[in-house]
Amino acid sequence: MRILDIAIKDLQQILRDRRAFLFIVAMPLVFTFFMGFAYRSMSQAPDPRLPIGLVDQDAGGELSQALGEGLAQAESFRLEAISAEQAENAVRSGKLAAALVVPPGFTRSVLAGTESQLELVVDPFSNRGQSVMEMVRPLVMHLYSSVEIAEMSLRAVESHIPFSSEVARQQELLAAFDTSWRAWDTSSEQGIAVEQVTSPPQAAHAEPFAGNPYNQASPGILVMFTLFGLITSATLLVQERRARTLQRMLTTALHTWEIMAGHLLAMFTLVLLQGLLLVVFGQLALGVNYLRQPLGVLLVMVSLAAWASALGLLIGTVAKGDEQVIVIAMISMFLLSALGGTWFPLEGAGRAFAAVGRLTPTAWAMTGFQNLLVRGLSFESTLLPFAIQLAYALGIFALAAWQFRRQAN
Amino acid sequence: MNDDLAIEVKELRKSFGSLQAVRGISFQAAKGEILSLLGPNGAGKSTTISMLAGLIAPDGGQASIMGHSITSQPHQARACVGVVPQDIALYPDLSARENLSFWGKMYGLRGAMLKSRVEEVLQVIGLTERQHDRVGAFSGGMKRRVNIGAALLHTPAVIIMDEPTVGIDPQSRRYILDNVKELMRQGMTVLYTTHYMEEAAELSDHIAIMDQGQIIAYGTHDELIRLVGEQTRLDLGLSVEAEGILPAWQEVEGVFQATASDGIATVLVDDSNRVLPRLFESAGKAGVRINSVDIHEPNLESVFLHLTGKALRDD
Ligand SMILES: Nc1ncnc2c1ncn2[C@@H]1O[C@H](COP(=O)(O)OP(=O)(O)O)[C@@H](O)[C@H]1O
Ligand SMILES: [Mg+2]
Repeated sequence: MRILDIAIKDLQQILRDRRAFLFIVAMPLVFTFFMGFAYRSMSQAPDPRLPIGLVDQDAGGELSQALGEGLAQAESFRLEAISAEQAENAVRSGKLAAALVVPPGFTRSVLAGTESQLELVVDPFSNRGQSVMEMVRPLVMHLYSSVEIAEMSLRAVESHIPFSSEVARQQELLAAFDTSWRAWDTSSEQGIAVEQVTSPPQAAHAEPFAGNPYNQASPGILVMFTLFGLITSATLLVQERRARTLQRMLTTALHTWEIMAGHLLAMFTLVLLQGLLLVVFGQLALGVNYLRQPLGVLLVMVSLAAWASALGLLIGTVAKGDEQVIVIAMISMFLLSALGGTWFPLEGAGRAFAAVGRLTPTAWAMTGFQNLLVRGLSFESTLLPFAIQLAYALGIFALAAWQFRRQAN
Repeated sequence: MNDDLAIEVKELRKSFGSLQAVRGISFQAAKGEILSLLGPNGAGKSTTISMLAGLIAPDGGQASIMGHSITSQPHQARACVGVVPQDIALYPDLSARENLSFWGKMYGLRGAMLKSRVEEVLQVIGLTERQHDRVGAFSGGMKRRVNIGAALLHTPAVIIMDEPTVGIDPQSRRYILDNVKELMRQGMTVLYTTHYMEEAAELSDHIAIMDQGQIIAYGTHDELIRLVGEQTRLDLGLSVEAEGILPAWQEVEGVFQATASDGIATVLVDDSNRVLPRLFESAGKAGVRINSVDIHEPNLESVFLHLTGKALRDD
């Protein structure tokens, strides 16, 4: 009962502090918006595919058509049909990485066995130019080989049964080319795989953050400002010592653990309320679907509040003055937030960074949220993050309790 | 253990590093009395009180409050005590009423009982009208009054007050001293520390004079005064030619000695109340006019000076 009285008194003090309102309510709301905008522009980043122009002067030709399809299907290219006059300028200005020029009568000439050159307009010394050359070359080789294979197989057939007419031969040759081209197409998946490695990461079509950048920003800010909000409640503990009210409490029949539990309860409640506020805001204003798995969200938040309030107790106990509270809380916040993936998903970070990040309790809070919001997993996916965060809570609390007892005596 | 004792202290000791703050002190307070610990700054008064309040553990010795040992039954002992700390220990951002209410709860009061006790205490400390104001906005004297009030809520058997009047205006001090006497009338035992000898003299049934971690004298006010002898010094202003009255005064009952210089007669007497009328009578008969009277009763200051060779106060 007295635990509750202490907690209520703490909350009363905090709610009367105007600075607390700023820290706990106003700033996280503003930051959520801000981060959301930052992610939005990130997810609208320029198309990573290389823009490539096709000058098709062999309109209707089967080979140029196949070539166009081949380029369009390659995931590394964004194909644009252009005229011959535009080609040079577009490449020079960088608007296009390259332009492939198909000369007039290309299909007919190649099938007739006469020479006809494809031309690639490209800056061979630029990175993009080199990438394009590397990626276009196999496609062109593939085209010529397909024609060659068709020619060879036709000759084999011809030696037994000659064609009735030149037109029939042409038709058969085209059919053989088509078969060969497509056969290659399916078997050349590896070729495309190689292209993917050398090209910028695909991701052009997969929506980051499951389509809503606030799916990262909202829980990220929630976790980060949970730590920021600790400044207010930890300062209260320092003041309690400095104003000697802690000593006075110790002269009443209170037990030390009751005093600790009271302060802890106040911090826990505050963190939880702050979190709920941001969840409601995220749900209603930002379209983050927390309510899809309300129980899972609650589990993540309760365990987050548990370790965060224990950390608040520790900070308030260890810090010598108000300034130290701010310094320690800010350092904890920046370290745990950055490492724990509240600013950007750990999946996108380097391997070593992510490995270290995994050691922070913030990372587990984020994992819990992302499992629900981004990965669309079920409630069970929050059990592990819940358990690990609780373990952190116990550890931090043990440390805080040890310090607190040491000081009370 | 004596059932009549509210506080019993035996050979209590406490050192901070090499500094012996309290060097094996013993004293007792009977139920319902006011006992003062009188001593200069640094004498060890607060340290003694911190041990009794359970804030710091003694290095040695024993103490009990209402029969509960502070070391083996700390919680029972604490439940009988209201401690008024030397420093104001309140929440400045809460109102007087909220502060009292909170501390009442810490002492285990609830509901209607809590409410009525808060009202009573607000009355006692004279802050009913300001009860909804923030304590942080109060004057030093008003804060002190709330500081005391917070220890009275649960009507403890024993009140321990550590220099409750330091640094406040005379009016608030008067208020507090009257409160303390009222508490005693209600049957509470009060342990009162101070370095103002007037306060100790006015309030106490018994006084323990403390210096450098030791109790150097203990007794009632009169018993302590007797340590320096009971003579009261009277300084009487006379006209110069009237000094011839001195031989007659030497013969008055209760006069030990009478001398004069520069028109001031200095007379040492046993009890000014009894002797002064006789001196006036004798002067009247001789036609001598007494135009001023100064009574210097022996006080605790002189006792302290007598015992330690130094002044009690440095201010
Ligand atoms: N926590 C402490 N650490 C070190 N020295 C202390 C501590 N508390 C008191 N002292 C020292 O012990 C002596 C007695 O102090 P205190 O009990 O506060 O005296 P008083 O209350 O009579 O003024 C002083 O010399 C003081 O400096
Ligand atoms: Mg003191």
